[in-house]
Amino acid sequence: MYRKRGSSVRYENGTFVRISECGVATEEGALFTCAPDPDRRADPFDAELPVAEITAAVQRSAVHCERLVLIDGIAEHQYGERTWSERTQRLHLALTHDRQRVLLDQASFDVTSIERIAAALARCDAERDAPAHLRLGANVSAALLPWLVGRVPPDVRLLQTAGGIDGKGNDIVEAEGEWPNWYRPSYRVRPERAPLNLRLESARTDIDPDLPLAIALLAPVSGLALRVLVEGRSSVYPATVVVTRILAAANERIWYPYGAGSFGAEMML
Amino acid sequence: MRFAIATREELWARGRLIEQRLSHGEAFEEERGITASDARDDLLVAACDAAMEDLRRCVVPDVRIRLVAESRLDGVTSTIVASLGAHSVVTDPARIAADLVLLRRAALEPEAEAQPLPLVWKNGSAAVLLHEAIGHPAEQNVPPREWPAWLQVEHPLALRRASFRDVPLLRMTTLVARQQRAPFALPERRIEVLLVDGGAYDPLTDMVTVRIGAADLIEGGEVRGVAPFTFARPRTAISLLGASGDPIRYPGVICSREGQELVVGSHAPLMVTA
Repeated sequence: MYRKRGSSVRYENGTFVRISECGVATEEGALFTCAPDPDRRADPFDAELPVAEITAAVQRSAVHCERLVLIDGIAEHQYGERTWSERTQRLHLALTHDRQRVLLDQASFDVTSIERIAAALARCDAERDAPAHLRLGANVSAALLPWLVGRVPPDVRLLQTAGGIDGKGNDIVEAEGEWPNWYRPSYRVRPERAPLNLRLESARTDIDPDLPLAIALLAPVSGLALRVLVEGRSSVYPATVVVTRILAAANERIWYPYGAGSFGAEMML
Repeated sequence: MRFAIATREELWARGRLIEQRLSHGEAFEEERGITASDARDDLLVAACDAAMEDLRRCVVPDVRIRLVAESRLDGVTSTIVASLGAHSVVTDPARIAADLVLLRRAALEPEAEAQPLPLVWKNGSAAVLLHEAIGHPAEQNVPPREWPAWLQVEHPLALRRASFRDVPLLRMTTLVARQQRAPFALPERRIEVLLVDGGAYDPLTDMVTVRIGAADLIEGGEVRGVAPFTFARPRTAISLLGASGDPIRYPGVICSREGQELVVGSHAPLMVTA
């Protein structure tokens, strides 16, 4: 039996929502059952969300904020005898300029990248072919990693990163190719085996800093063809990049909420 | 203002229950925002339980069936999503028998690829096209485009939310399209749309996209099933050539916006597009 008690505050396009709930989920044979937990109550949680700071960072460039969702929450989990807790922060931002839309998802409220991406979007020129070689920003490569499962390019390794606890109370272990851990994004969802906290390793970690940089996603990733905003030395443009080979991946990684968790790193294609 | 809801949901596969969910909660809208919890309203849960008893009679062994009984302060709704392979219909106990006939027909193996031919939107499926091309732009305050004078579309908007956790959004409740003295001629070579798998409208690009799940290619007196394909046009480039008859209920619009899935009643006459 899995039990969860959680509270959060969410900002969604102008409205604050504070939610407290407790749930319980069981699996008996093929049957998955879940319901609110009648025996427990969750205390309310509140936190200051940096709406003004993020809005100001966007407004410094002439782009439109189409969607802003911020979530800060706490949760206590129990599976069998094991209990654990976590604090979660999520940011989802969609910025538009002309007919382009940039999508940002991150696990912190850091505005550094937001400001840079908004400024780049404001300077966006017409569509171009993707350059033969370019860099992927950590926020872009993180979205790609879940799509590499089962089709890892040559000369790199795709691994599950050890650390933390999975949806059935097990330690998340280092793994490659087979995924022993369970992903449970909500008590209302049947847990399934999935690679958690993916990272990509390459023997090469040196990345040419002069290459154009895919600075942000222009569409959700749904395969190995990425719609990205590319920042070159003197111009910014939309392009479609087809990932067939990853030449290098940096060792500095940031965790992003893609798939069942993904460590983005600067990569060179 | 208090909002309260209870939902029971069951998923049946091969005649066996494989997932069962109960959800309940309430939300209060206050000056500082919405405060929500999973508080239980026993009357709403009891109403869900009663509706679910009726829904379970609709389980059939060869179709994946999702039953949803939802009780709010303003009433109870019962929804069935029946799926075969990649296709699904959204139905209710009164209409499931007829809708399963359509679903089974749609699940037949396709024999041909789609061709650039006029589309004849059967079974009320034009309601999905108009849902994307007229309903969503209205929800998002996008200026309307001009449509043929023979077309009348009602799409009342109301503040709706999927659960107590959600922010109410201005959403369609239903879409009913009618024609008055519309021209109508069936093209000799045509594709007849039977079932739609989904659709989208992007206000940024003004693009309307409808994924056609099941269709027939009609040519030379032959009827051949067509593989799934995508209808994608700028909203201003959609050309309605004609329509015939009264609105037909389309079995299948669960509309997702901002992550909130809501059923939208959908009706349209037989319609032809270029």
